Amino acid sequence: MYEFDIITPNSIDAAKSEFDAAEDGQFLAGGQTLIPVLKQRLAMPSDLIDLEHVHGLSGISASGDTISIKAMTRHTEVAADHEVQAAIPALAKLANGIGDMHVRNRGTIGGSIANNDPAADYPAAVLALHATIVTDRREILADHFFTGMFETALEEGELITEIHFPIPEAASYMKFANPATRYALVGVMVAKSHNNVRVAITGAGPCVFRDAEMEQALMGNFSPESIKDGMIPADDLNTDIHASREYRAHLISVMVRRAVAEAVG
Amino acid sequence: MPLITVHVNGVETTKEVEPRTLLSTFIREELKLTGTHVGCDTSQCGACVVSIDGKTIKSCASFAWQFDGAKIQTIEGLANGTELHPMQEAFRTHHGLQCGFCTPGMVMTAVALVENNPDISENGIREGLEGNICRCTGYQNIIDAVKTGAKAMRG
Amino acid sequence: MDTTNITNGIGKSQERREDFRFLTGAGSYIDDMNLDGQAYATVLRSPEAHADVSSIDITEALALDGVLAIITGEDWKVAGYNPIPTKSAVRKAIDGSDLKEPPHHPLAIDRVRYVGQPVALVVAESIDVCKDAMELIDVDYDSLPSVSHQSEAIKDGAPQIWDIAPNNICLDFELGDQKAQKKAFSEADHIVTLNLVNNRVTAVPIEPRGALASYDAGTGKYTLWNASQNIHAGRDTIADAVLGIGKENLHHIAPDVGGGFGVKNGVYPEPILILHATKLLERPVKWFNDRSESFLSDTHGRDQVSTVQLALDKDGTFRGLRTETVGNLGAFCATVGPFTPTGGSSRTQGGPYRFDAIYYTAIAPFTNTCPLDPYRGAGRPEGSYQMDRIIDYAAAQLGMDPIELRRKNLIPTEDLPMKSPMGLDIDCGNFPEVFEQTIAMSDRDGYDARVQKSAAAGKKRGFGISMYLECTGGGPKEEAKVSFREDGKIDLSVGSSSTGMGHETAFAQILAGHLGLEIDDVVFRQADTEATAIGGGHGGSRGLEVGGSAVLQTSREIVEAGKKIAAHKFDVDADKVEFSEGHFHVPGSNHTMTMREAIDAQNDPDMLPDDMEPGALNISSVFERGIISIPNGGHAVEVEVDPETGTIKVDGYWVMDDFGTIINPMLADGQVMGGVAQGLGQALMENIVYDDGGQLVTGSLMDYAMPRADDMPRMVIGYYEDAPTAKNLLGVKGAGEAGCVGAPPAIVNAVCDALKDFGVHHIDMPLTPERVWRAIEDAKAS
Ligand SMILES: Cc1cc2nc3c(=O)[nH]c(=O)nc-3n(C[C@H](O)[C@H](O)[C@H](O)COP(=O)(O)OP(=O)(O)OC[C@H]3O[C@@H](n4cnc5c(N)ncnc54)[C@H](O)[C@@H]3O)c2cc1C
Ligand code: FES
Ligand code: FES
Repeated sequence: MYEFDIITPNSIDAAKSEFDAAEDGQFLAGGQTLIPVLKQRLAMPSDLIDLEHVHGLSGISASGDTISIKAMTRHTEVAADHEVQAAIPALAKLANGIGDMHVRNRGTIGGSIANNDPAADYPAAVLALHATIVTDRREILADHFFTGMFETALEEGELITEIHFPIPEAASYMKFANPATRYALVGVMVAKSHNNVRVAITGAGPCVFRDAEMEQALMGNFSPESIKDGMIPADDLNTDIHASREYRAHLISVMVRRAVAEAVG
Repeated sequence: MPLITVHVNGVETTKEVEPRTLLSTFIREELKLTGTHVGCDTSQCGACVVSIDGKTIKSCASFAWQFDGAKIQTIEGLANGTELHPMQEAFRTHHGLQCGFCTPGMVMTAVALVENNPDISENGIREGLEGNICRCTGYQNIIDAVKTGAKAMRG
Repeated sequence: MDTTNITNGIGKSQERREDFRFLTGAGSYIDDMNLDGQAYATVLRSPEAHADVSSIDITEALALDGVLAIITGEDWKVAGYNPIPTKSAVRKAIDGSDLKEPPHHPLAIDRVRYVGQPVALVVAESIDVCKDAMELIDVDYDSLPSVSHQSEAIKDGAPQIWDIAPNNICLDFELGDQKAQKKAFSEADHIVTLNLVNNRVTAVPIEPRGALASYDAGTGKYTLWNASQNIHAGRDTIADAVLGIGKENLHHIAPDVGGGFGVKNGVYPEPILILHATKLLERPVKWFNDRSESFLSDTHGRDQVSTVQLALDKDGTFRGLRTETVGNLGAFCATVGPFTPTGGSSRTQGGPYRFDAIYYTAIAPFTNTCPLDPYRGAGRPEGSYQMDRIIDYAAAQLGMDPIELRRKNLIPTEDLPMKSPMGLDIDCGNFPEVFEQTIAMSDRDGYDARVQKSAAAGKKRGFGISMYLECTGGGPKEEAKVSFREDGKIDLSVGSSSTGMGHETAFAQILAGHLGLEIDDVVFRQADTEATAIGGGHGGSRGLEVGGSAVLQTSREIVEAGKKIAAHKFDVDADKVEFSEGHFHVPGSNHTMTMREAIDAQNDPDMLPDDMEPGALNISSVFERGIISIPNGGHAVEVEVDPETGTIKVDGYWVMDDFGTIINPMLADGQVMGGVAQGLGQALMENIVYDDGGQLVTGSLMDYAMPRADDMPRMVIGYYEDAPTAKNLLGVKGAGEAGCVGAPPAIVNAVCDALKDFGVHHIDMPLTPERVWRAIEDAKAS
């Protein structure tokens, strides 16, 4: 690992000003992505700005039709939270399926979303549930947040503070895990609310994405039969040793059907 | 260099650490507690698992300074002198270890699994051990050990 | 078989003595050891599969604060050391010419031939400084065309890796009677052909490789602590063959070793490099691989492509077997490398089945990949896979029942002892009985109901079986040395080494059991060139067979010597004295003497007969086994396949093993279950992949899938104990490798059984979900 300095601010303002003051600062949340990256010498920040002690960055609250999760909330906490389990069980299940117990005890929702790993689980939930990402300076709708592989709409030094998840009528997350990493080889979140259906797919492409054709079909008839093989063209999907793009395309259809079946109950 | 105070297996220690010192390195090299092992560089294997304030983490994916003020338990802190913790005892009776390299992480994980869920099922154990790789045992004796350990821990 | 004197040693699931240490974090593995003043070393590895090294500039790196030395291929040339030799037991090609052994230097000299090959050793005050320095070393590579796959390597026009090896061929090999095989084939009603890939895998012991070296300038002696399974042979190779320092000047020790599975048997470049560095700097030097480096530099295993042909009659009687294999060696001949696809894979061809004739040939080419060496089983898993896969494949082709086909062709007990068509001495066993017991334990009665239940959930269930034949024993000799301390402790030193197999318990159990002493008093030492003069290390499931036999032999010699002491005390002839349950006694008299009393007496000249010196019970003895033993057994597997995704769930697993006498069932179970897990890994997920440019695609645990707890089924294991072998003193047949020999064919057979309705009869390992799904789709389309 290269050398760096550490800064441990305890307010959002302090975190921001420390970031601005640093030559090449980087926020540190649970570290479950950033620390392995640093160990491999793939990043060289001058300063790590630790978010652990920043007040007001952790916790879950429910109000009416929304679940709000603060950025530093650990995966374990989301998985075990009764309000999340009651309102959006698919989200609790998703959180419980991230990595392993040890990773879940450290990793945070803010870190996961900011990182936008193409195989990460949370981005599928954020996108399918039409969540809003609240930062230190603005609110960003999920549809505008995930912009590319490991890329987001976040500006330099912009800090995610919380995520608002509208509570859907029904939702389900189906993950087909990569046998080595256990990240999503294909992960599919299907969410239904009023007359709207959103289908978000992670693991399969360079960045989490929605599929309009499947959404249309499911809005017509919210049942597994609406999903036909071949609805998703394989061309733009990822290909690697674990799954070709054709297989991923196939898995998406299967996972969406299974998610819908579960959501229907 | 940050100065940190940690309570490791009940003993308070204050030391200076480099910002880039991993918790696993700190435990092994500064505290000389070499029971915490390092089996990989991508945080997959779980040989390095320790418990922080009752929660398990991978010490290879954390910095030492992040635990200033924390209570850390390593495998060395589990037995009471020569009296093994019930989970250690169960690993022994069930032959839940061969080379012993994954064992510290396995045992720390097993204790946490049972503390979180005293009635944990076989499937629960198998899933709960997802972050710990053992190359020697085929896991079965580990599973059986965790079941017996759970029973003993329930008392 | 004489087990009469082993009263409390055998058959008991004695808890392991080493476990307290391991369970409390008090084990001492290589990375737990540190010496005062030690420096750290890391290895700069080649990023190129095949390239000329036109220059290496170390100036900047050397100038970095804390860097102590940087050693390159140029330095190695100047030092004039010899290359690392291969110890392959097969050394001649079919035409009688020598195998082509290219010079394997620990550092690349002028040219690199695989990604990960050591190019320079950096020694510094800390690992971080080493890594900083590595980034500052400027190596110019002129890329050359490379070849990763063995089938490509032997084609005309393929990139040539070594001038001495035209078409990249190290050697070819044959075994068996080709004429007889041809005759059998011409007479048989059917010939079934199957092309098989035995996928390339790696052992991944959870402890990576590492070593710590020191040098005493005063005495000129080196000490090397090494996470190795083969201390004595390694010492000889490193000290005598490579460095030329004389083996008496290298003290080679293995501390606790965190798993090996064969991959820690060979002699590797890094320990040799740090021996050089420790002398150069007159400081201890430590090196420890990162896991990702392990993937690049631990020898890989398997990687064979074969064509198997089975000739059989209409009624299913096997007539002949023909196997042609191309086995990848990687860029060099590793320690045993060329033996695996040749001798290693040939001996058990045909398995426990009866054949008129078998003919085996192999070609072993070099490629621009990491060298290959034995991995648990070393050739026998490949042989077993070939045999038991083609049976199921033939059954499917010819509309026969694979279970009946096996039943019909197993070697009947009355044929034993026999020499197999491969020249293997099969002394004892009862294959038909082991087969029937395997079937009987696998809950066939409930099978149909489970098939229905799976079908109702849209799943396909299948059953598969394999009958493996092993041959074990490894290095033929072992020393066991016992000495009794004044304080009552018993020092037991053995040359074999355990990397998790529990010798510290099993061997102490044999000694204490035989002598009637307390196991807790036995102080065990292994894998140390100063503890025993010889030592065969680990490999070939030899621990109990050879090491255990050596302990028993020494124990017996102690008893014989003790009888003389007792006879002296009783004033009778030594041949009148008997020993049982820890006591010397003379039948029909009330003379008795305990083993402890004899031990106490051995240091008192007054208590000894004239021809005995004090210390006469401190005995060291070398056991040499006869021919290798033949473990065998059956694996039965039930799988459930989700045809929509191709996912396989292994749902039931039954094993019936004939390991001869079972010394400690708990340890034997452990060996089998661990082996099954590795076999399941190979069958379903593990795969080392190089791309066409020679880059390792599966370079970390993020890419290389390994079985976790939730991938494993519950395993039920039984032992057939009615056929102990007379080839060693204990009647044991090696248990260490069998699990991963039997598992892959049984699992693949079960999956193909599940998919038979789709017309899928073969899928190459690993049976990843995508491969299964594709096989189904392809079968549907055709
Ligand atoms: C063994 C293992 C298995 C895993 N398996 C999975 C899996 O199955 N599925 C999955 O989705 N993930 C998986 N992960 C990743 C894990 O979920 C991480 O926790 C997550 O990706 C990053 O969260 P973190 O809190 O650890 O962030 P960090 O690693 O601390 O930070 C990640 C990035 O986000 C930035 N960042 C962090 N917080 C904020 C913020 N509030 N505002 C702006 N930027 C911020 C950081 O600067 C950094 O660039 C796994 C990780 C490991 C080690
Ligand atoms: S060393 Fe921490 S997970 Fe492998
Ligand atoms: S006991 Fe060796 S890795 Fe688990």
